[in-house]
Amino acid sequence: MWENKTKPLDVTFRDPQKSPLKSLTQKSIRKSRNREVCLFIFCCVLVHFMTHLYTKMSIDIQGTFVSQKINKVRWIPEDYAETKCFLTGSWDDEVNLITVWTFESVNEDEEVEYPRALTKYPVDDDVTQIKFTEKNKIAVSISNGDVKILEISAYDKQTPLKEIFSWKSLHNYGNTKCSATSLDTYEGDIASIGEDGNVNILSGRRGEVNRTIKGADSCSLHSICYLKHTEVITGNIRGHIKIWDLRSEVDKPAASFLLAGDELAATCIINHPTQPHIVLAGSESGSVAIWDLRMNTFPTSLLSAHTGGVTEMQFHPENPQKLLTCAVSGELWDWNMETITKSTKGPDNQLVWMPLQDKNTMMINSLMPSFHQALNSLDCEKGRILCGADNEAVYLIKNLKY
Amino acid sequence: MNITTFSNNNVRGDDSSPIIRAKTFNIPEKCFNKGVGCAWRSGNKFSIYPRSQTVSKTPKNDVENKILNIRHEIVLFHPILRKLVNESNGTYLSLQKLVDSSKNNDNHVELLKLSRQYRSIIRVCIENLQEALNDAKDGSDMINLQSYITIFYSVECIWHLCEILYIDKIPGDIVLPYLLEWVRFHFPCHEQTAAQLLEACERGSEDHDDYWDTVIGMVVQGRVDVARALLKLNSLSETNEFKLVDNSLRSMPVYSIYGGISTGEFTVTWKHWQAECRAKVTSRVLASQPKLELIMRLIIGEYSAFESIRSTYTSWFDMLGGYVMFTAPWSRTHELSAAASACAGMGSMPSGSRLDRTLRALLEGDMHQVIHEIQHITDNGWFATHLSDILYHCGKLKVLDKHQNNVTQRLRDSLILEYGTLIMEHKSLWSVGLSYLASCPPEGLCRAHLLLERIPINTHAKAMRVVAEANKYGLLEVGEGVWRVLSGRHSAAGRDGAALSAAVRGGAAGRAGRCAGAALRHYCRTGCLPAPDLLLTAGPALLIDDTLLFLGKYCEFHRMYKNKEFRKAAQLLISLITSKIAPDFFWETLLLDALPLLESDEAMFTADDTYDMMLCLELRAQNFNREKAELLRLALLRNLARTALAEKPEESTQ
Repeated sequence: MWENKTKPLDVTFRDPQKSPLKSLTQKSIRKSRNREVCLFIFCCVLVHFMTHLYTKMSIDIQGTFVSQKINKVRWIPEDYAETKCFLTGSWDDEVNLITVWTFESVNEDEEVEYPRALTKYPVDDDVTQIKFTEKNKIAVSISNGDVKILEISAYDKQTPLKEIFSWKSLHNYGNTKCSATSLDTYEGDIASIGEDGNVNILSGRRGEVNRTIKGADSCSLHSICYLKHTEVITGNIRGHIKIWDLRSEVDKPAASFLLAGDELAATCIINHPTQPHIVLAGSESGSVAIWDLRMNTFPTSLLSAHTGGVTEMQFHPENPQKLLTCAVSGELWDWNMETITKSTKGPDNQLVWMPLQDKNTMMINSLMPSFHQALNSLDCEKGRILCGADNEAVYLIKNLKY
Repeated sequence: MNITTFSNNNVRGDDSSPIIRAKTFNIPEKCFNKGVGCAWRSGNKFSIYPRSQTVSKTPKNDVENKILNIRHEIVLFHPILRKLVNESNGTYLSLQKLVDSSKNNDNHVELLKLSRQYRSIIRVCIENLQEALNDAKDGSDMINLQSYITIFYSVECIWHLCEILYIDKIPGDIVLPYLLEWVRFHFPCHEQTAAQLLEACERGSEDHDDYWDTVIGMVVQGRVDVARALLKLNSLSETNEFKLVDNSLRSMPVYSIYGGISTGEFTVTWKHWQAECRAKVTSRVLASQPKLELIMRLIIGEYSAFESIRSTYTSWFDMLGGYVMFTAPWSRTHELSAAASACAGMGSMPSGSRLDRTLRALLEGDMHQVIHEIQHITDNGWFATHLSDILYHCGKLKVLDKHQNNVTQRLRDSLILEYGTLIMEHKSLWSVGLSYLASCPPEGLCRAHLLLERIPINTHAKAMRVVAEANKYGLLEVGEGVWRVLSGRHSAAGRDGAALSAAVRGGAAGRAGRCAGAALRHYCRTGCLPAPDLLLTAGPALLIDDTLLFLGKYCEFHRMYKNKEFRKAAQLLISLITSKIAPDFFWETLLLDALPLLESDEAMFTADDTYDMMLCLELRAQNFNREKAELLRLALLRNLARTALAEKPEESTQ
């Protein structure tokens, strides 16, 4: 009686979040002076509603449920064409997968494109980080302590991912397993960190461990970023940030400072694409700290931003004035950093990052209206942002103005 | 997890005796022959184990003792249905938010939108299942998918009718157009044939096998225009009989709430039209065309005519729309039960299926029965939970118990709690389950607390996420528990730094104190302090416990000493000694640390400090190695000697 009946849907509420952007209420201004050196300015974050922008080109959000919580999403770069394929890494499931997807329209004439899985690569535990080492090679850290380099076929994305190198239990507590929490890549080199507090520098070309900084931290490390080829910055579960000079023989940090006084984890660290001495760290509390490493120890600004932990930050690859952040509280924000940078030019004609005064406001657009689960990852490519979430969905946001 | 497949499942219980809701399973394992024990595990799982273990004297004797973990298979954890679970969770949460934000406002438009959203989620789910079915190769997979599709088709069908009857506010409560739409939407069997015939547009279409069935089907579904167009395709359509029927169909009055005429007025016109049609039937002008006569008898609402075509339909609700249309088109929502029982009574077949009973109960407005029936659908309570929730918020769910107490809220809450608990069992879906439990305070939060504490945590990332979710709902104790356990795990493995940071995070003072104690013991043994990077930057976090504070300050003392800031180091040391927060076993080490400072060229301690130290030493002399104590006494005396003299002149000047 209930046999196969194909009928068009009479309900047209398919696209979940097509509503326009909301202007969020202004956050309370808190201001506190820390010791005598620096102003910790909890800036007032004004979420700006730029109507004029979106009347022309409205932001389009399209979600696809993929039956796994997504911890990382990455576009697969293309040389001369628009990117169509992307990678996801799942976490917290019985079997976790690294999946390659492609966007395809269901019908020829339809404009909407939905992702279709091309190939799946099972891993033993949560995927904690995916970064490209080369155009078609990815470095993956897994929460059982493994780090792998996988190759995506350049010609046919449907061919299964090929394992190039694998470091079994690179991070460990002796015989017990421990999570490899993150990694970063720099021209074929990989720096991985784990809950054991070690930093491993790997060569992605030769498959060797170049150096291990044992006990780089007595707590678990959670974020890492290459500042230069010879310098990495790490953040631990207490928000303690350390800079390591890889040329130095001793296992001592070149510098170290605290993210904030609240002792919460530094969940992600990035540096500015054109001014590498500018470092941003996202905290578990949802705040974002900005340092100028030429005068470190205290952040130039500490912005109390999201209501939940910052999970990933990215400067827009085409426009470094634009910062994208996503958070456990389910927010995806698009920051306009001009107010911080434009103030003055320094003697070497470089932009100087000004400490934010509480009078200044940041221009922030919220790209994801009312979302109830954690957003774990984002990757931006031109006007399109991919977003992976804990509600087992991947979101594609189109028509981002940059 | 090992899931046993059951060899045998006889369902006991017959109709005469009171129903025994039990199933018997035989487990074909030898070790269970002598008696079986059983223990509950978390959620829906339990373990069974052999009660009398055969103690093997020879190690080679391999009587296999097994422990079987048994769990109820949960349909919703199928990858495709997980999409449904997640997507509907979003809708559920927006529904709760909507209701919270507009307590007394009339928000039925939004509720209707959300109800449609739920239905579209079900539709998408069916589509996905259909796709998977087309790709499936394995036989058992196909059977499973097929049964899921059947389940969710009926779920959607019931939901749609529910939406029409209870969630939507129909203008004037004239339910007929919506009812016809529902019938059309769910039983499109004749529509496709009709479309084909009309597209071909050939005269003489009556040669098609299903021609008359289609025409009558269209009439019964109330699509008079289509029926007329089909009749025009008949090669005899120019005959008088056809023209007569066409004319009758054309002149049928249609009631519209916005038509400007009252119900009474319409009823008169309608009755007049039907009388006319009835006259035509009784005049036997259509005797030569039995099919046309049948159509006329249907449109005058003749019960026997409907009864005669009942066998061509699989269910009575196919005809419900037509029956209402041609007997009482002005019916209101609450008047449908008569039509429903009339339709259900047609034919000899008793309406036995669950869907039948549910729809009957719906049309009769017996919500208690509806919820009761849909709880038996094998979708693990997804449907019952979400439907009863939305009906509850619409104010349409009124359920009374035996004693006529209103138990609506309790019913809704218990369904949500059950569903939330079930979902929380899944490794990945726990946060979804949590959001359901949290929407039912206070019991939901208590359950959530218990379940969250039992989530296995392997990594710090997961711990942070679990704690963040718990904090979102104000379950701060969960965070404390999680970090305390992690701290214990780390300190058992000798990772003092990680243990300390976890303890401090959880705000577990006792735990932090024990960790600090362990670190100090470690120092006594090896002479190196663990985790100096942590201790030197810890700041106010140290204040939660005295031993931890002592450890932090002691670490700072070491840093100063290494940096050759001896005077500051000495001051810190003396304050550590006089504050008396050092653990007993550490006194020896602490006082011996003063030794090099006492012996330095410049006096670091004042006479008063020295007296204090002497007092401490004598009070705790039993903790000390005799030789070391002597050494200390000597050093203290020498220091006293030089400082007492140096300080004397100052005192005398006073």
